[in-house]
Amino acid sequence: MFLTRSEYDRGVNTFSPEGRLFQVEYAIEAIKLGSTAIGIQTSEGVVLAVEKRITSPLMEPTTIEKIVEIDKHIGCAVSGLMADSRTMVDRARVEAQNHWFTYDEKMSVESVAQAVSNLAIQFGDSDDDGNAMSRPFGVAILFAGIDEKGPQLFHMDPSGTYVQYDAKAIGSGSEGAQQSLQEAYNKSLTLKSAMKTALTILKQVMEEKLSSTNVEVAAVTPDQPFHMYSKEQVEEVIKEIA
Amino acid sequence: MFGQAILNDNLPGAKQHHWSPYTDNGGTIVAVAGDDFAIIASDTRLIQGYSILSREQTKLFKLSEQTVLGVSGCWCDVLTFTRTLEARMKMYLHEHLKPMSTPAVAQLVSTMLYHKRFFPYYVSNIVAGLDQDGKGTLYSYDPVGHCEKNRYRAGGAAGAMLQPLLDNQVGLKNMKGGVLPDITKEKALMVIKDSFISAAERDTSTGDGVIINIITKSGVEVMHFPLRKD
Amino acid sequence: MSILSYNGGCVLAMKGKGCVAIASDRRFGVQTSTLAMDFQRIFEMGPHLYVGLPGLATDTLTVHERLRFRLNLYELRESRKIKPQTFSAMVSNLLYERRFGPYFVEPVIAGLDPVTWEPFISAMDLIGCPNVPEDFVVAGTCAEQLFGMCEALWEPNLEPDSLFETISQALMNAFDRDAISGWGGIVHVIEKDKVTTRLLKTRMD
Repeated sequence: MFLTRSEYDRGVNTFSPEGRLFQVEYAIEAIKLGSTAIGIQTSEGVVLAVEKRITSPLMEPTTIEKIVEIDKHIGCAVSGLMADSRTMVDRARVEAQNHWFTYDEKMSVESVAQAVSNLAIQFGDSDDDGNAMSRPFGVAILFAGIDEKGPQLFHMDPSGTYVQYDAKAIGSGSEGAQQSLQEAYNKSLTLKSAMKTALTILKQVMEEKLSSTNVEVAAVTPDQPFHMYSKEQVEEVIKEIA
Repeated sequence: MFGQAILNDNLPGAKQHHWSPYTDNGGTIVAVAGDDFAIIASDTRLIQGYSILSREQTKLFKLSEQTVLGVSGCWCDVLTFTRTLEARMKMYLHEHLKPMSTPAVAQLVSTMLYHKRFFPYYVSNIVAGLDQDGKGTLYSYDPVGHCEKNRYRAGGAAGAMLQPLLDNQVGLKNMKGGVLPDITKEKALMVIKDSFISAAERDTSTGDGVIINIITKSGVEVMHFPLRKD
Repeated sequence: MSILSYNGGCVLAMKGKGCVAIASDRRFGVQTSTLAMDFQRIFEMGPHLYVGLPGLATDTLTVHERLRFRLNLYELRESRKIKPQTFSAMVSNLLYERRFGPYFVEPVIAGLDPVTWEPFISAMDLIGCPNVPEDFVVAGTCAEQLFGMCEALWEPNLEPDSLFETISQALMNAFDRDAISGWGGIVHVIEKDKVTTRLLKTRMD
């Protein structure tokens, strides 16, 4: 891809003669530099697990936040440029609250993905809103939540494309992880075993040794809305997969 | 001298013309919710001052297979409000790929009304329908969007006249006995008819006829009966 | 707001078969503050004659006393009981004398003719314009609610017991939807050989 560089990879809204938007493709490439994140949907709920890259022993690991709450019933995991992800998470939260305010009901996971994808493609020249992003967002997001259709997992990439998945991996280890997910996934997976699967796969693709400080785990279930797993809970699961 | 005469509008014979963006076109809405149904009814008279503009204008708007809105007040506001609401409901359908539930419509009506807090729609709204569990529900509003969930409600011109009657006959207020079961469809229909007949006796803006919508899980059934036309 | 609704309160009268009933609430307040729950706004003017004077409380008292004065004089001069029709005309006349500085009361009259025992009800506005219908009359701050109730509940030829039930239900449900009426009710059912007075227990809020 880098061999085909031409003037068409400059403007974010300029198609190449072959019909490609290079900047968007590069943004998708940028995700592959990000840390790995995995989401698995089961009939009991949805699990999110991400690796946190501790690049220095002086770093405070808890300040790396890659899994966040969008609304009580939806959480998301991000990979890519963390700064960009803040903007998108903020938009998702605003949209979810606005939906609740207007309709007195929970926003569906798909609608949240749709709303954020609207933001994702607002790059290029300024539009009526004034300050659009000058480049595509360098973030991929996994939306995990429960709505009236049940547990749902959605993946969205920098092009704003969003697709529903049973299980999805993003980030640097995503290729291997996705392959492993495909082998491990079945419809009758329990939440507990999905969590084990997610951590097992993370363990395989991570460069550092898997520990309770360098992973984050969260889940959304019908009786327990979005909740992060504590260090102790994560340690317990790690012990089981050891 | 001449200039003064022009400026002084209190001279004898000088007329002052006032214009108001609002008019009251009368009309009454009554709604009753039961366990698995909701009934909403409106009279069919439309007035302006002492004139009758129409004897067959329904004030009920079917918003979906399970939601009906009843509106009375300033007719132009009724039309604008219902059209905007219908458009918002279509946008919701396309954005979220599902029809709006009655509680969602109820909240939207409230937000839409409040968004015109300082130049309100001059309307009295009642939303009736079935909720997601198929239970009869109904919500009533003031012109700026205060929303209340009710089992029965009379609104519009004869609202004050009919509400105590519903309290008594549907809510069984001031009656002996403990908690009573949900009202039957037959009893609800009877009370609604009686209430409109009473309203037509004393309220000049209510009369000519009544249109009743009965909302059940099989859809909206429409009934009509005549009222006095004087 | 109108002086007529400064103190709150309502009165209602209904015709029955050989009987009439008159009822009112018992609240006395100043705008939204309730000061008493035993206020009398229906007065006995004879063995079969009652008048209700809802409106400004001070005028309720004054008009009652002036009516008493004129009625005593009438009955002394005539040496006979007054007919309800005549009393109604007397009230109307008293009010119209103050055409341009009226008493702020809207009287309701209920009684039986002392000779024929024919039921009679009437109501008038604050300057004495009379209204003498065949069914019921209402007045006070919840007149609209009372109209709705009466129009639905009333039927011709009610026996005294049914008349009591009807007027009570009409009264209570109407004033429960009025913030400045209620706090107890009183009902008089007037028959040829007896007058039954009952106090109603109602919601006190």
